[in-house]
Amino acid sequence: MVQSASDVVTEVDFQLEVWGEPCPYPVVATLDALKQMQSGETLEVVTDCLQSINNIPTDAKRHGHQVLEVEQQGPQVRVVIRKA
Amino acid sequence: MRRPAWPTCLLSLAFSMGENVVSWQAFKQAYLIRFWSPVPAVIAAGVLSAIFFGLTGGLWAVTGEFTRWGGHLAQLFGAHPENWTYFQIIGLKGTPLDRAGGMMLIGMFGGALAAALWANNVSIRLPQHKRRIAQAVIGGALAGFGARLAMGCNLAAFFTGIPQFSLHAWIFALATAVGTYLGAKLTLLPMFRVPLKLTKGGAKRNIAQDKQKASNRFRLGMVIFGLMAIWGVVTLLDSPKLGIALLFGMGFGLLIERAQICFTSAFRDMWITGRTQMAIAIVLGMAVSALATFSYIELGLTQKVMWAGPNVVIGGVLFGIGIVLAGGCETGWMYRAMEGQVHFWWVGLGTILGALGLAAMWDSVATPLATSWPKVNLLESLGPWGGLGMTFALLGLSLLAILWWEKRFFARQRQEN
Repeated sequence: MVQSASDVVTEVDFQLEVWGEPCPYPVVATLDALKQMQSGETLEVVTDCLQSINNIPTDAKRHGHQVLEVEQQGPQVRVVIRKA
Repeated sequence: MRRPAWPTCLLSLAFSMGENVVSWQAFKQAYLIRFWSPVPAVIAAGVLSAIFFGLTGGLWAVTGEFTRWGGHLAQLFGAHPENWTYFQIIGLKGTPLDRAGGMMLIGMFGGALAAALWANNVSIRLPQHKRRIAQAVIGGALAGFGARLAMGCNLAAFFTGIPQFSLHAWIFALATAVGTYLGAKLTLLPMFRVPLKLTKGGAKRNIAQDKQKASNRFRLGMVIFGLMAIWGVVTLLDSPKLGIALLFGMGFGLLIERAQICFTSAFRDMWITGRTQMAIAIVLGMAVSALATFSYIELGLTQKVMWAGPNVVIGGVLFGIGIVLAGGCETGWMYRAMEGQVHFWWVGLGTILGALGLAAMWDSVATPLATSWPKVNLLESLGPWGGLGMTFALLGLSLLAILWWEKRFFARQRQEN
């Protein structure tokens, strides 16, 4: 489920956790967090809102950022994004 | 991330069996555990709902039955809703087990639960903020009230209503678009926001799942799926309509959970983040469904056409605000509730109460808002081919409007940056 092995990072610059929140808050929080970061920095979003798998990666890309990793493990989703 | 287009699942299964290398593990991982791509899944839901209409003459619909559940709830408290006019219209006989609508809901809940268990997606997730509970109940109630005022939710007044060539569904779609826009503005107000939990980085979080637990959950999901399927088939022998409703309900439940089909996001996310993927998928799903439904109608099945009055405009706007505030529509809260997202249990309760509230006050609003208005059937007013052509023209126009909005959204965003 990992997008591309060469893009996978083990360390990230920022981490965002969103627990128990319904849509659209996880994706809104992600885009807000990216706004606070510098270009080139990486963000790891971890959430238990499964729907996020349909929106965080798509929206991050559409807003110009690079999605490095998408992973779903049971009820948790991880998305790693590099800010454009 | 590439996800499989799910209809290819049967194909690839057939191929791999042909080569005699069918690997259960690979199949399970690719089609039962990974989420399905939403676009083909929505189209599949359109096809399935048209076939359901062809087999039973009924619609894939849910809120009418939830209103009846509200009626049963009121009966428990000693009220006599069976005498209310609204329940004279939609009926309140027997228990959910005696009604196609009830079996459909049970099938959907069971199918969604089985699908969620397969992928170990079930986990009790409590709301972290009190304001979310209020949001869930009020949003659910607005959605339930609005849906029943309009005589249908995102299904009977939209996804399965537009393919019935009932003008009321088009009015509802427009009103819902307006309502979700207002809902999006409301939902992003500071009073509904919580502080970001953003921390300076380090090593990535460990989200690995307990393998033993995951495989136990998978088995439990299979048992539920198997038992329900047997129940469906047995019922089929005795009462075809109820059995078909249960089995198709399971299919719809599987689809909405496995592909996380969210009608709310289709509208809301156009306004909030400019994402149009789900909205486009739904338009395509309705186009396929409309064509298939048309063929059944031409063969003689009776359409379901509803009043096109102010009830649909008011109901659609309230429904739109409600689903965005709640975070899910009538189908959306069902699969999320099965995944253990407690927030959506509250939404469900709100929906049932809202729908019951509308049923209780129906007499005072029915004549001016709904029943004195015509039931406009596009296939009658414009002739069969004219109505079909008009429906496709409107679907095409919707597609263009969605693409125009997306372009405008990102053009504005670039200007701001």
